[in-house]
Amino acid sequence: MGTTTDIPEITSSFTEYAIFIVLLPMLAFPVILFLGRLFNGNETWVKSAKEGGLIALPIMVASFVLSLILIVEFIGSGTGSYYIGDWLNFGWIGADGMTIEEKVFGVGIYIDHVTVMLLFVASFLCMLINIFSIGYMNTDPVNDNRNHRFYAEFVLFCSGMLGMVLADSFLWLFIFWELMGLCSYLLIGFYYERPSAAYAAKKAFLTTRVGDVFLVIGLVMLWNMFGSLDYSVVFNPDNIAAVDAGELQMALGMMFIGAVGKSAQFPLHVWLPDAMEGPTPVSALIHAATMVNAGLYLVARMFPFFGAPAMAGELVDLAFIIAAIGGITAVMAAAIAFVQDDLKKVLAYSTMSQLAYIFTGLGAALWLANTPGMEKYAIVAFGAALFHLFNHAMAKGMLFMASGSVIHEMHHAHHDVHHHDDHDDHGDDHHDDHHDEFDAQSMSNMGGLASKMPITATAMLVGSASIMGLPLIGGFWSKEGIIANAWRVALEDPRFFLPAFCVLLGAAMTGFYMSRMWLKTFAGKPKTEVAEHVHEQTPWIPIPLVTLTFVTLSSVILAGMMFTHWSSDSGYAFFSEKGLIDGLIYEFEHVFLNSDAFFFVLTYVAIFIGAIVGPGLAMALYGGALKEGEKAKGWMQPIINLSARVNEKRGFDNSAWADSGLSVALKERLYFDKWYDTAMLKLVAGFAVLCATFDRKVIDGTIKTIESSSQKISLSVRKLTTGSARDYIMMAALGVLVIYAMLEVMI
Amino acid sequence: MIDPAWVSVLSALLFTIGLWGAFTRKNAIVVLMCLELILNAANLQFVAAAIQHGDATGWVYAIFAIAIAASEVAIGLAIFLAMYGQHESISLDDVNLLKH
Repeated sequence: MGTTTDIPEITSSFTEYAIFIVLLPMLAFPVILFLGRLFNGNETWVKSAKEGGLIALPIMVASFVLSLILIVEFIGSGTGSYYIGDWLNFGWIGADGMTIEEKVFGVGIYIDHVTVMLLFVASFLCMLINIFSIGYMNTDPVNDNRNHRFYAEFVLFCSGMLGMVLADSFLWLFIFWELMGLCSYLLIGFYYERPSAAYAAKKAFLTTRVGDVFLVIGLVMLWNMFGSLDYSVVFNPDNIAAVDAGELQMALGMMFIGAVGKSAQFPLHVWLPDAMEGPTPVSALIHAATMVNAGLYLVARMFPFFGAPAMAGELVDLAFIIAAIGGITAVMAAAIAFVQDDLKKVLAYSTMSQLAYIFTGLGAALWLANTPGMEKYAIVAFGAALFHLFNHAMAKGMLFMASGSVIHEMHHAHHDVHHHDDHDDHGDDHHDDHHDEFDAQSMSNMGGLASKMPITATAMLVGSASIMGLPLIGGFWSKEGIIANAWRVALEDPRFFLPAFCVLLGAAMTGFYMSRMWLKTFAGKPKTEVAEHVHEQTPWIPIPLVTLTFVTLSSVILAGMMFTHWSSDSGYAFFSEKGLIDGLIYEFEHVFLNSDAFFFVLTYVAIFIGAIVGPGLAMALYGGALKEGEKAKGWMQPIINLSARVNEKRGFDNSAWADSGLSVALKERLYFDKWYDTAMLKLVAGFAVLCATFDRKVIDGTIKTIESSSQKISLSVRKLTTGSARDYIMMAALGVLVIYAMLEVMI
Repeated sequence: MIDPAWVSVLSALLFTIGLWGAFTRKNAIVVLMCLELILNAANLQFVAAAIQHGDATGWVYAIFAIAIAASEVAIGLAIFLAMYGQHESISLDDVNLLKH
């Protein structure tokens, strides 16, 4: 059924090797695992191969280089697909009972701007986080002799993400999607001896599973409509024109629920904060930079459906739902981030909130694409959402790695302070002690680290600025785009006022919680003795931090290269319309001197609340000067001084708020976990008890009755066997008589 | 020629004596002899039927049955010998292990 494709076949020579972007890490998985089993504890393996880290690294570099070549090739040639071969053929007897119908599932890659953008993000971050892991994992005594497991699962995860991005059909997308789900489970539960980690792993796996069930339903519906899941078939406008709009909206809605689960949006968001139980590189990789983007990627992939002329105006409800879910999550997660004391938890909620921004942006873009006459804006809105995905992935990956650096050095410092006497004893029992008596992740134990960890503090500062959307840095460009486009839709469709208002409010909240996090960690005086002894010393860790700091800062160049136009419009090539300078001028004009009065005001409102109100409040509450004699780097010292001054002049007592019911509710994560647990207990456990009763009473009951009655009969029958030969002879004779009598009766 | 009816009567008589003996006697050898009586009662019945129908098949069966009875006696006596070795007795009252 259905015509295949207006997607051109890529013919260039390189694409044949593109499959290795996925295959290399996938093949490295068993290699690292078995080598690790073989050489576990071996000194060469630990020192030279870094327990697999230095096997994984070249693989990831190779993947990254291949990706880059593919991207360069793509920029030269444009959207296309490359068919690698048949994966599975099968036939069945057709409806008429005579013919054999055949179906071929192919393997191939599909490349367009969205693919390329995510391919870069995934392969680049996988590589950097691999470098970070070598520093972070291999110097942690609690990981002794099991890091090979980490690296093996890590590369398998990377192959899942890269495969999902490159896949040329929703079927393969789903397969790799689930591969990531599995690796996520394994990596969150890396410290499986900790009950909380095992619980978090289960929770993440099962919560995303809820979404995945709906994703499968959506894919089956799509299959029913199109007879295929290949992009080349389902994206064809002629095929889209042939299907029922209501049914398509339902199918896409089901798939969206899958995305909600994977990207941790309301109401399936509960797993992400708990997933911080995994090692920090895992948090950086999976729960900030790549896997949570899978849901966004899935929604971004739906763009052709909304853009198809035949569907015009038919799918706006779904676009609204996507934006509304995003808006609600953005505000809710930001609010919960206000009260978190755990450094990684703040980042986890920040991730949820920022992903929600991207969902809102995508929802707005899809609405615009689905509305006749608005396609021009749809491209820009879509680009802004994708650009925010890029900026957020880079910044959040960096923030998580920086937080990992802080936590790691806190551990070291704690060890130095409290275990001077037995410094050489790196036993696990000691390490467990750390967890019990000292929380190295709690911001209440930090403070004043800016002078002690300059690289980390800078990375954290730039990352926070990008997430907050401080003008000219990273996420500013994309966040402005998302807010502006949400309001643009709201002016047309009043329902969108909800998400539009949410993202605007969220900007202020982001400004507050990110500033709070940075100030509590890096400004002020050290709150514990441990924090005074922290210093940067672990090798490998600074490399990705510095790299990503520059990438985030150079985001303005991408904006100047018209990234928002390029990433969403396959017909648009880099620099094709404007050079870098013209592009920058255009972007600056567009953002700061918008000719439309409404958007002009909106931009400055967003900047004001996001960059002044939010951080200002945070400074008033948490600002403070460093300890006497300590001095941070030149670009951080003014901020710390400013925060100290604001804190002195405008500081206020917020204890009334801190004890209020709302604050407690936020600390309890708005009771979502409790509600879900209760619902599970009532509903699922009730159902389970019912099933158990049925099993015991009806099924077991039947079998047991048969068993016990036959036992009773046999017990009474066996009394006849007396052991006396005379009785047996008697019985034989009687038996003969009975047989004779029966024959008489029957014949 | 003897009337086959008389042969049947004799057969029935022998069978009854054999069955009664098997039920009532203690001595294993006597019981075995009673079983032989029952077998021979059956043989006589074969013979009676053969005479009645003028067919040789009944005679043949009787000869087969005699051969089988001979081997049965051999086995039976061997069992009784073994029984005597174990129990110092061939009274059926002393042998009642084969039970529930």
